[in-house]
Amino acid sequence: MIGSAILLVVAITLLIGARGVAAMRTTSDFLVASRRISPTLNAAAVSGEYLSAASFLGVAGLVVKDGIGALWYPVGFTAGYVAMLALVAAPMRRTGALTVPDFAEARLGSRRLRTLSAVVVLVIATLYLVPQFRAAGQVLRVVSGTPYWVGVVVAGAAVAVTLALGGMRAATYVQAFQFVLKLALFVGPAIWLVATVGPTVRAAALEPVEFTRFAHETPVQFRFGTTLTVTEPTTVVDGGAPRQLVPGEYPVEAGTTWTFPTGADVPDVGGSLPPGGDAWTRPLLDTDGGGHPVLSTLSLLMALVLGTMGLPHIIVRFHTSPDGRSARRTAAITVALLSAFYLFPVVYGTLGAVLVPELYLSGDTDTVVVALPQRVDDGPMGVAVTAMLSAGAFAAFLATSLGLLLALSSAVAHDLLPGAGLRRLRLAPLAGAVVIVALALPAVNIDVGVLVTAAFAVAAATFCPLLVLGIWWPRLTAPGAVAGVVVGLLASVGAIGVDLFLGAPEGLAASLLGQPALWTVPLAFAVMVGVSLRGRPPAWAAAATLRLHLDEATT
Amino acid sequence: MSRKGPKRIAVASPQTRLAMARRSAVRAEAPHLGRADLERARRIRRVQLRAALTALALLTVVVVGLPLLLAALPELDAVRVAGVRVSWLAVAVLPYGGLVAIAVVQLRRAERIERDHGEPR
Repeated sequence: MIGSAILLVVAITLLIGARGVAAMRTTSDFLVASRRISPTLNAAAVSGEYLSAASFLGVAGLVVKDGIGALWYPVGFTAGYVAMLALVAAPMRRTGALTVPDFAEARLGSRRLRTLSAVVVLVIATLYLVPQFRAAGQVLRVVSGTPYWVGVVVAGAAVAVTLALGGMRAATYVQAFQFVLKLALFVGPAIWLVATVGPTVRAAALEPVEFTRFAHETPVQFRFGTTLTVTEPTTVVDGGAPRQLVPGEYPVEAGTTWTFPTGADVPDVGGSLPPGGDAWTRPLLDTDGGGHPVLSTLSLLMALVLGTMGLPHIIVRFHTSPDGRSARRTAAITVALLSAFYLFPVVYGTLGAVLVPELYLSGDTDTVVVALPQRVDDGPMGVAVTAMLSAGAFAAFLATSLGLLLALSSAVAHDLLPGAGLRRLRLAPLAGAVVIVALALPAVNIDVGVLVTAAFAVAAATFCPLLVLGIWWPRLTAPGAVAGVVVGLLASVGAIGVDLFLGAPEGLAASLLGQPALWTVPLAFAVMVGVSLRGRPPAWAAAATLRLHLDEATT
Repeated sequence: MSRKGPKRIAVASPQTRLAMARRSAVRAEAPHLGRADLERARRIRRVQLRAALTALALLTVVVVGLPLLLAALPELDAVRVAGVRVSWLAVAVLPYGGLVAIAVVQLRRAERIERDHGEPR
């Protein structure tokens, strides 16, 4: 049932893609499709491409794990389009550049900067793709019970097949359809859940109590190894055999299931708060438990707001608008469409904290959206709603992954290895999919939201200053841009790498490394401006900047 | 079956077109702008920059002001509207209204600037 719902989504997507291609054979049809696309349709396409597994699954999971403060994620995801509308949408469209590497060469005339930008595209796309594959693997595992790696490989194969058959991204209609599909598959189940859970759960969701005791006998499946700190003697059932736990630390191996009895004390897990506690209900985000919630929240928002304009799969979408003015309108309508979608993750998050709080013990919070329906209704309706949500999550994964994979392979095939033939262009996405699958396999215990935020942080510290200064500041020079992008890239990748691989230090440093945008973005801007001021821009730079602000109709 | 349509040409997705066009990469060249156009562009840029900075200031009120306000006033956690904490509404619902409003205002303003500074014909 659930598997067939996912297959149905893939099939419908392919069908619409194929129809779209078949319908657009003549020049005029093509022009209608690509040049006269209305801003509303294009905005739906942008939103369809943008709403990834991180939005569909990740935000609700982060609410269960980190608390109400995680709702700043979708605010940042949406606010990014306001910044895009104000600063880059129209001028960027007028450059005629489809990608940031194109923009770099068109505006500053530097091949070096183009290559560097392609490397940045590679970094952003990889950081964004790995969590998508991970989420797809997890959804398939939850709904079908297969091991994680099978899910990831199946997801990779689905992307490869869709790419090989082509068509998927050919039509704006496909992405617009994806948006409507995702909206329906997210909002419908949310309303059903709220209506079905009953008044007691609704009240409990609004007034959460800290998750300290198991309300009923609860099996907890540990898919990742972890360490539990037991503070009260408890008897759990470990694989059929009762086991007495005295207070102390217990390592739990991946793949085991512990069943806790009703009323048992909930053990502590390192590094996260139990859902429903006082800190959990505060509307600020304390990442990594650094103890600086205001700083973490502001830094996250800075990364999301300024990083959106640098996402490679989104920029190319704006090119479908006929001119700067409709690109601007597209950005504005996108704000409204995303706002409608993002009113709903809070439903899954707050209900999840009440109904499936044990997911926080096993680190499986990303699956809260697909776990909820069957907790509410164990009949066919529960299965049907799970199927709808899994299909939506898979649609989200597909749309974003295909866009990113194409951006990534275009960067490799044309900016990094110029002179490549069409064959290499066809092979690049497949090779990319293999690499991403290989990276997603060991990434099993990193939250979807964390890596996606890292992608935004890199974009905000590299492409944001490049685009904003390139569009508004005639004195920007190529060496200045190169220096700024290099510093921004090294600083943000370095901070994220230290945080992920070496483990976060305590206190303030944890917040600054976990959410580095607050210092990396100003640093990149400062370096770009400082180095540019020491050089001289070419004579045509002023005209090249000014041209971007002239309405096409009047030039 | 001798329907005469427009000339058939190869059609590809934006990515493929981009990829195929890349060989003859975008060349940076001096744009051809007359003196009058340059002057006009300079004026538009200045006014548009002011509009964009206003929109960014309003955006800052939402994405910086609101978190700071919620941090400064923990009492808001206890105030309830229709049974929901005000501090929850302030992050789950309120920002979206603000963002849509800023987007609409900025869009109108930017388009008005382009109309007002258009070439007199």
